[in-house]
Amino acid sequence: MIQFQQVTKRYPGGFEAVRNLSFEIQAGELLFLAGHSGAGKSTLLKLIAGIEKPTAGAVLVNNQNVARLSRASLPYVRRHFGLIFQDHKILFDRSVYENVKLPLDIIGFDGREARRRVQAALDKVGLSGKEKLNPISLSGGEQQRLCIARAVVHRPAILLADEPTANLDRDNAHDILELFKSFHQVGVTLVISAHDETLMSDYGRRILRLKNGQFTA
Amino acid sequence: MKHWFRLHGLAFARTVKALLRQPFSNGMNLLVIGIAAAFPLGLYMVIVSLAGVAQKLPVEPQLSIFLKADAPTDTGTALLAKLKADPAVQAAHFVPKAEALKQMQAAVGVDDLLAGLDDNPLPDAIVVKAKLDASVERLDALQKELAANPAVESAQLDSAWAQRLQQLISLGQHVLQALAALLAAALVLLTGNAIRMQILTRHDEIEVAKLIGATDSFIRRPFFYFAIGQGLLGGLIACGIVAGGVAWLNPAVAGLAAAYGQQFQLTLPGPLEVAAVCATTLLLCMLGAGLAVRRHLRKYH
Repeated sequence: MIQFQQVTKRYPGGFEAVRNLSFEIQAGELLFLAGHSGAGKSTLLKLIAGIEKPTAGAVLVNNQNVARLSRASLPYVRRHFGLIFQDHKILFDRSVYENVKLPLDIIGFDGREARRRVQAALDKVGLSGKEKLNPISLSGGEQQRLCIARAVVHRPAILLADEPTANLDRDNAHDILELFKSFHQVGVTLVISAHDETLMSDYGRRILRLKNGQFTA
Repeated sequence: MKHWFRLHGLAFARTVKALLRQPFSNGMNLLVIGIAAAFPLGLYMVIVSLAGVAQKLPVEPQLSIFLKADAPTDTGTALLAKLKADPAVQAAHFVPKAEALKQMQAAVGVDDLLAGLDDNPLPDAIVVKAKLDASVERLDALQKELAANPAVESAQLDSAWAQRLQQLISLGQHVLQALAALLAAALVLLTGNAIRMQILTRHDEIEVAKLIGATDSFIRRPFFYFAIGQGLLGGLIACGIVAGGVAWLNPAVAGLAAAYGQQFQLTLPGPLEVAAVCATTLLLCMLGAGLAVRRHLRKYH
């Protein structure tokens, strides 16, 4: 489903975030990316979603080279993904409900179907009843759940989560990972990055360890 | 198609929300657009009103030459031939006293004006139409020359002032064009700036939307709706300002005109003018939005 072919990403200034990486992610897989901050996890996720373009090599998603996509077709490819950002990117000028609804507005869902889906997503992450609140009044764990609801509301095939458990206590982190597991069980492909490996080992999945932009054993 | 309407409906709803979220600054913007557009519209209405008056007047300067009652007919014919040869004259024709009487009877609506008179009291006359480009000085000189002719009772230069009015209107139209061009540029910049501010305040939203798969047109759409709203409302405000101004000035204008024995009123903007002003402000605001959006949305990928 996702294929990296000798991918290198060099940022302006010469820093190489990712060096000559080749690997493949199967459809329906739950993959963890481990490594310290600065190891290249975020860059790798951004390369998958076409937010960054590789300096060398190719990133294929469903056999499409993401870097070669035209500006016009990139948005439609992005809609295959659910993105959970490290810095959340929650919009604090609107309610929880409006935040989750944004991807559906972008795709152009009609009102009733959109309401149904937003409600379902909020139920799934345990935020029902908080639709009308401003996200600023949510706790850290709840804000993370809001991000997850927004990422899954349009039912993407691939979920990319950048450090979703950072800044959460162990219980909250476990709840979040349980949530991801339930998406995995219904066939969603997940790529989750984290610097805390102890959490991942509990789930016994494939782990890719990054260090200085390269895989370690 | 339904999908397209839904996307536009959503964008429209978001625009209205955005407008209402900052009622004060958006209201100020609308007022500025309205006032800027009211200047050329107001001047246009004044010119249209004056042109209406000018149109009822003979536009070509005209000389009326009345011959002495005892002047023989051939002096009239000779004078006519001489005038026709004058380079400042476009046309001249002889009006014999009998014809003048007929015209007068038709104008007054009386069949027999001469009842009670022995003779036709009207003189023979020559009506001279000067060329449009003949200067006022040249016509004044011609009038003096004719008045000095012993066969001529009197010579009147009728419409020099009409020509002056015409020139004034033409000057007004030039001023209007210059003013309209300047204010059009101002409107484009004004809207461009308003849209730029909108883009800056909605930076987070634009960034997230782009990241999760919004197309360029999805991002642009609300700003164009914003520009459409500003253009239309601004145009209507301009028409309102001008209509109010005309209504306020008209009693004074009518009083001034009455002092000259004239009936004159400034014209209110009609549906055509309202539509034209709104269409123009709309286009200018769209242009401003287009420029701002092109310039400021490029950095989001």
